[in-house]
Amino acid sequence: MHLNYLANIGRYIPEVILVLLMVGLIILEATYKEDEKNRKYIFIATLVGLVATLGALIANMSGKAEAIFSNSIIIDQFSTLIKMVMVLGTLAAIYLSRFSKDIYESLKTEFAIMAVGILIGGFLLASANNMLTFYLGIETLSILSYVMAALKKNDQRSSEAGLKYALYGGISAGLMLFGMSHIFGVLGTIQFAGVAKMIPTLTSAQLAILMPSFVLLFAGIGYKIASVPFHMWSPDVYEGSPTPVTTFFAIVPKLAGIAALIRITAVFFVVDSPMKIGWIGLLIVISALTMTVGNVTAIGQKSVKRMLAYSSISHAGIMLAGIVVINDVGIRSVVFYGITYLFMTLVAFYITSIVQDKYGNDHFDRFSGLIYRYPFMAVMMAVVMFSLTGLPPLAGFVAKYNIISSLINSKNYALAIVLGLNSVVSAYYYLKIVRLMTLKPQESNEEIEGFGFLNQMVIVSMTVPVFVLGIFWETIMNLAAGAKLFIQ
Amino acid sequence: MISLSSYLFISLVLFLCGIFVMVARKNIIAILLGIELILNASALNFAAYTKFLNNNLEGHIMSLFIIVIAAAEAAVGLGIVIRFFQLRESIHIDDASTLQN
Repeated sequence: MHLNYLANIGRYIPEVILVLLMVGLIILEATYKEDEKNRKYIFIATLVGLVATLGALIANMSGKAEAIFSNSIIIDQFSTLIKMVMVLGTLAAIYLSRFSKDIYESLKTEFAIMAVGILIGGFLLASANNMLTFYLGIETLSILSYVMAALKKNDQRSSEAGLKYALYGGISAGLMLFGMSHIFGVLGTIQFAGVAKMIPTLTSAQLAILMPSFVLLFAGIGYKIASVPFHMWSPDVYEGSPTPVTTFFAIVPKLAGIAALIRITAVFFVVDSPMKIGWIGLLIVISALTMTVGNVTAIGQKSVKRMLAYSSISHAGIMLAGIVVINDVGIRSVVFYGITYLFMTLVAFYITSIVQDKYGNDHFDRFSGLIYRYPFMAVMMAVVMFSLTGLPPLAGFVAKYNIISSLINSKNYALAIVLGLNSVVSAYYYLKIVRLMTLKPQESNEEIEGFGFLNQMVIVSMTVPVFVLGIFWETIMNLAAGAKLFIQ
Repeated sequence: MISLSSYLFISLVLFLCGIFVMVARKNIIAILLGIELILNASALNFAAYTKFLNNNLEGHIMSLFIIVIAAAEAAVGLGIVIRFFQLRESIHIDDASTLQN
């Protein structure tokens, strides 16, 4: 037995900080009276803890890849990078929850506690190296997410969102486990490395059991990233949950799922084998379907949050398309896409949340004439919408371009064409908001309190990376090429 | 003689029963029960494969974790169902339809 857990503690400091932070927040929360309004120490403690986690992750970036805890967890640069993106998303979601009116004042501390808990699950999932940690990661993410979706406990829509999330989550976790149990039975191991060794040398009888098992395994991940046959929960949950929770859901669970899928694909399917052909075929079909269904359904939506939910489904499809190319270039372009997706989603949700707090709903019409009242914010929203569509010189264009070019290099022409066509379709509903903001007369002259100076600065500072990543992407990608992102 | 295939058959039946319950029943509690059936089917699979084929501890550990997590998931699920019932006075899945376009 390897009892060297403490010897490796340098590698899992971020996780330790997060666990201590969660426990600390629970204790701190108990010191407040139930109706106490301004719980600023909890907010400060969360910020400090998350920034410390970010620092520890940055320190981890330089270390070499290492499998710890008897090979059940792997810490490498890829997982560390994804974790950094998830921490940034959590920070932004907690800051948004601070001033959002969509969450009850007394439940804001619960939001912070559960966000940190989900982040721990995301960390576990991003560096899972066997099926047990993989399953534990998915369930830590999911079980807390159910509660979080139902956070507005006196609101019918919110508890319905939580209910749907819980039912779909339970079903897909069950399907995934059933698939895993047969994979374990046939191959005799739950370690990813062990499975990967067996895959090229399968008999046809084993293949007959494993093919459906891997499809079932995909159900679990596909549900987390909301890819097409398992996407039905996503619009309902996104619409019913409070907006800060939606912001959080659009980033952390999705990126964690993408990271796990990348690891499974890149570890299991290195050598050519019938399984690899089947898995890649599955990914191609699912990716094309996810993009198309997400984009086409987004067109008819009236609620901006629901539209953003469908758009995040289609973005998951695009990231899946990048995973189809199993090599360094493909993985790098997916990670780049994830980073740009973080900033674009955050700005879009921040502005939507502030507008929704003012008017009580988030219909498209509430954005009419925003440019006459808050020109700066309207421009930021327009920039993000252009970027989500994929117009140069913004980050969204570069991210899509990288994925399409890696698809073409690996001769997946059909998928590249589908991706290109989908970008055109998505322009319709993204630019609809831009049109409403600039061309329609404004509905009222009232001030929107949420757009204070500080919040405007925060939103602007989150839009800056959209430009920077869009213009200086070559330098950044060259830096990333120097560091070997993925090692197995 | 109880062999591996009998265990696998039973777990397959459990799995199919779970799927059937989830598709056919409209009661939310029944759907949660269906989820439990599926989870137990896979826990049984893990235990059976470990006993008959792969003599390592991994399968047993997996089944233990599945039991623990299934309990946690059922607790959270039931909590949400109770909240839903208090607000809507129904545990019929068709009543969960406010969030549709």
